[in-house]
Amino acid sequence: MWRQADSDQQKKWRAEAGGRVWLAPFVARGGWPALVRVIVGLGLVGAAFGIVLAQEGHIDQLPEVMAMTTLALAGLAVVLAPWLHRSRTALNQARADKVRADARADMAAHLHDSVLQTLAMIQRQSDDPKAVQQLARRQERELRTWLYGEESPETTLKAALTGAAAEVEDERGVPIEVVMVGDCDTSDSVQALVKAAREAMVNAAKHSGAEQIDVYAEVDDEHIEVFVRDRGSGFDLDTVSDDRMGVKGSILDRMQRHGGKANIRSRPGEGTEVRLEIMR
Amino acid sequence: MSTPVTPPAETGAAGDLTSPEKRARTGPYRVVVVDDHAMFRSGVKAEIGRTVAVVGEAADAESAIKVILGTRPDVVLLDVHLPGGGGIEVLRKVHEVNPDQKFLALSVSDAAEDVIGVIRAGARGYVTKSISGAELVDAIRRVADGDAVFSPRLAGFVLDAFSGSIDLATVDEDLDRLSQREREVLRLIARGYAYKEVAKELFISIKTVETHVSSVLRKLQLSNRHQLTRWATDRRLV
Repeated sequence: MWRQADSDQQKKWRAEAGGRVWLAPFVARGGWPALVRVIVGLGLVGAAFGIVLAQEGHIDQLPEVMAMTTLALAGLAVVLAPWLHRSRTALNQARADKVRADARADMAAHLHDSVLQTLAMIQRQSDDPKAVQQLARRQERELRTWLYGEESPETTLKAALTGAAAEVEDERGVPIEVVMVGDCDTSDSVQALVKAAREAMVNAAKHSGAEQIDVYAEVDDEHIEVFVRDRGSGFDLDTVSDDRMGVKGSILDRMQRHGGKANIRSRPGEGTEVRLEIMR
Repeated sequence: MSTPVTPPAETGAAGDLTSPEKRARTGPYRVVVVDDHAMFRSGVKAEIGRTVAVVGEAADAESAIKVILGTRPDVVLLDVHLPGGGGIEVLRKVHEVNPDQKFLALSVSDAAEDVIGVIRAGARGYVTKSISGAELVDAIRRVADGDAVFSPRLAGFVLDAFSGSIDLATVDEDLDRLSQREREVLRLIARGYAYKEVAKELFISIKTVETHVSSVLRKLQLSNRHQLTRWATDRRLV
């Protein structure tokens, strides 16, 4: 057991000495070599003093001996300082280079997986403007998240709502612009709100024919409001049959179940706006 | 493109200080496009070139300042992120010489600090680069006429900045608070309403909507710098 640990230690020391076995005991950190080194070093210094004092036999010469030693050490220091400094700088430089190279490699890998792939797909589908637009939007969103490090978990309304908008945008190919004022943590009712808003976005993307959907959410001390708006074809609310599950079940009833409200404003030719509200 | 270069005809009426820009127009609006991406510049030119006259282009801050001061366009479309000091540098340098030059900021970044920064530096509006050609022309017209242009996103930023995220105790109350009407207008813009639709919704004229937005812009430009900057940096992105 002892032998085992020992040889592990020795491997480590050898690694620290850059593979040169003979150098290992002189540079290794910690463990018995360090202890031995300190003792031997101090012994050598003591011996030097001892020799001088023994030869002269006079304790009153100690100051001169000390001064001599100090001078000798100072001389050595002056000679070695530039070299020490240079090797330190070189080491730091090498470390910084490595960090930079790693970061670059990371970035290259990321761009290759994302942007280059998307560009390749765009070239292949260049005759389908809708697909190209969708690819570009998705890539833009992804790149933005990566650049600005906005990968917040979906524990806030903002994250949940922008996530839902991104999903619908990807599925339906209609750009959705989300604007938020304030934010709050999610709860059951907030999640219901997000689901209802998502359904409203899906409806707008599916039926309105609008080129863009605007989502606006505002959180204040008392309540949360979400607006989903399109400038599409619109419809006559009275003619929507009760069995259209999307509007009734997913939006109106869901909001009511969670103590909230939903109303829909629409007129043929003027687009649609769904307003959702819950108390906090 | 040989657009007749209309000299900046000074409006004679000394009393008409509110809108000296409303001179009689001859010919299309003259626009300079400043963006470091040549692809974006040519895209914009293709989209709006039929309705407005693009009289100059620039790819960095230094040449932008030269081109703008040389051509004196009605509106400068200014990329927020520009090599050589950014859009704010261009705004500052040009306004030192010609304080009346109008800028419309364009950006892909959406970072609150960029947007608020460029508006506070004196841009009359902010739109994202994904804006459609027709909307961009509309925004140019509005800025050229001396009004402000707020995208839904900018309206959201402003509402957020003025809605208690900023401590009002130490600052000029009148300046750092939006009136009820201004808030209503901004909320509708944030919801994606065009000025026309806002006017209809609130039973006011489009002119009144424009006045409210301009007043919000002024408050944004004059209000407490320190707190607004802190808000913007805290907030980073939408």
